[in-house]
Amino acid sequence: MLTLLALPLALLSQQQGIAQRLAGRVSPNVAALVEQLATAGAARGLPSDPLIQKAIEGGAKSIPDDRVAAAVRLVAMQLDIAAAALREGGPVSDTLAITAGAFALTAGLSASDITALARVGASAQALTVGLRVAGTLAALGVPSAEDIGLVSTTLRSGQPAESLLLLPAHVQSAVAKGSTPAAAAAGLSRAAAAQARQGPPPGHGEHPPHPTPPPHPTPPPHP
Amino acid sequence: MSGYDFHPLVKQLLDGDLTLADLPVELRAEGEEALRLLTAVDRRPVELPAVTQRVMQTLASRPAPAAPLPPVPAWKRVMQPREIRLRIRPWILAPALAIAAALMLWIWPATLATPKPPSLVTVRFVLVAPDAREVSLAGTFNQWDAHATPLVRTGSTGVWTATLTLPAGQHQYAFVVDGERWVPDPGAPAVDDGFGRRNSVLTL
Repeated sequence: MLTLLALPLALLSQQQGIAQRLAGRVSPNVAALVEQLATAGAARGLPSDPLIQKAIEGGAKSIPDDRVAAAVRLVAMQLDIAAAALREGGPVSDTLAITAGAFALTAGLSASDITALARVGASAQALTVGLRVAGTLAALGVPSAEDIGLVSTTLRSGQPAESLLLLPAHVQSAVAKGSTPAAAAAGLSRAAAAQARQGPPPGHGEHPPHPTPPPHPTPPPHP
Repeated sequence: MSGYDFHPLVKQLLDGDLTLADLPVELRAEGEEALRLLTAVDRRPVELPAVTQRVMQTLASRPAPAAPLPPVPAWKRVMQPREIRLRIRPWILAPALAIAAALMLWIWPATLATPKPPSLVTVRFVLVAPDAREVSLAGTFNQWDAHATPLVRTGSTGVWTATLTLPAGQHQYAFVVDGERWVPDPGAPAVDDGFGRRNSVLTL
C-alpha cells in the first residue's frame, strides 16, 4: 500500500519541481521534453539538474526551441555515457560524479578517460572534484593523456582532494610564462608523482580547511 | 382459599353438580354465601402490557434531558478527530518499509546522495569593456538570469567588476553586455554551450 502510494507521489513531486523551475523560462514543449527526459533518467539514477539548467540557459539566451531541445537531449546522452563510464571504472553511482563526468565529456574528454579516473579508486567526492578539474584542464587545452595523467597522479598522491582545484591555475600560470598546456601539465604531473613518493605533506589531515580559490587572472584588454 | 373451607356438598354446588335446592336445609345458607362470593369475582380477562409497552412506559416516566443536542454538520463530522485502533502484525511492516526505502533511493538519489551543504567561496569577476553601457553576469548560480547580477564600472578605464559568494562546485557563466551580447570570460577556461557559443567555467 505504502509502495503503491510512494511511486506516483514521488514522480509527481519530481515533475512538479521541474515544472516549477522551468515555468516562465522555457516554452511548454521544452518543459515537457525536460520532464520526460528527467523522469526517464531518474529511473536510471541520473541527475535531472543539468537538463533543467541547459533548458533554462537556452531560454535565457533566446535560443529557438528546436535547438534548446537538441542541446537538452545532448546533455541527457552525456549523462548516460558518463554514468556508464563510471560504472565500468568502479561502483560509482554518485549523481555529482555523473554530472562532473558529463561536463568532462563536454570539455573534450572521452568515456575511457572517465573510466580511467574512476579506476584510481578515489572516494566519490575526490573523484567528482577530479572529473571537474580534468574537464577544466581540457578546456584550457591540456591534451587528454597529460590531463588524465596529472589528475590520476594527484588523486593517488594522497593529497586532499581540494588540492586538485589548484591545478588549472598552475597550468594557466605556466602557459602565461610561455609553456604549452601539455608541457605544463606534464611538469605538474612529475611534481605530484615525486610528492607521492615522499608521502603527503605535513599538516594535511583528513579535513583540511578549504584552500584559497585560484586567483582570477588579470583580465586582458577587451576584444 | 384457606379462609373458605366449604362443605363438600357446597363445593359440588359451586362445581355445578348440585343446585341450591339439592342441599340440606342446614347447608343452604353456606351454599348461598359461597355462590355470592363466586359471583363477586371479577371475571374480565386480565390484559398484561407487552414488554415493549412496559419499557416505553419506563422510559417515558424518566425525566427528559434539559435541551436536545443540535445536529452536527456533515463536514464537522468528517473533520472531528476520531480514535482509530489499528492492530498490525509487526512482521508485515518490514517488507513494506524495505520496498518504500528502496523506492526512495531509486527516485530521489540526488536528494539522498547530498550529505552536507557545500562550502562557500568568494569570487571576483572582472571584464574590461570600455564601450559597454551595462554589464551583468549570468550563469548556473543565478538561473542564467541576465539581470540578476549586474557588474559595477570601476573608474574610467572600462573595468567592470562583481564580487560573489558561490557554493563550492562547478559553475558555468557568461557576461551579458548591454543586455543582449553574451560574452565568455576572456580570463577563464570555456566550453561549448551547445548553442554555438562558449560558456566560461569556474571550478571551486
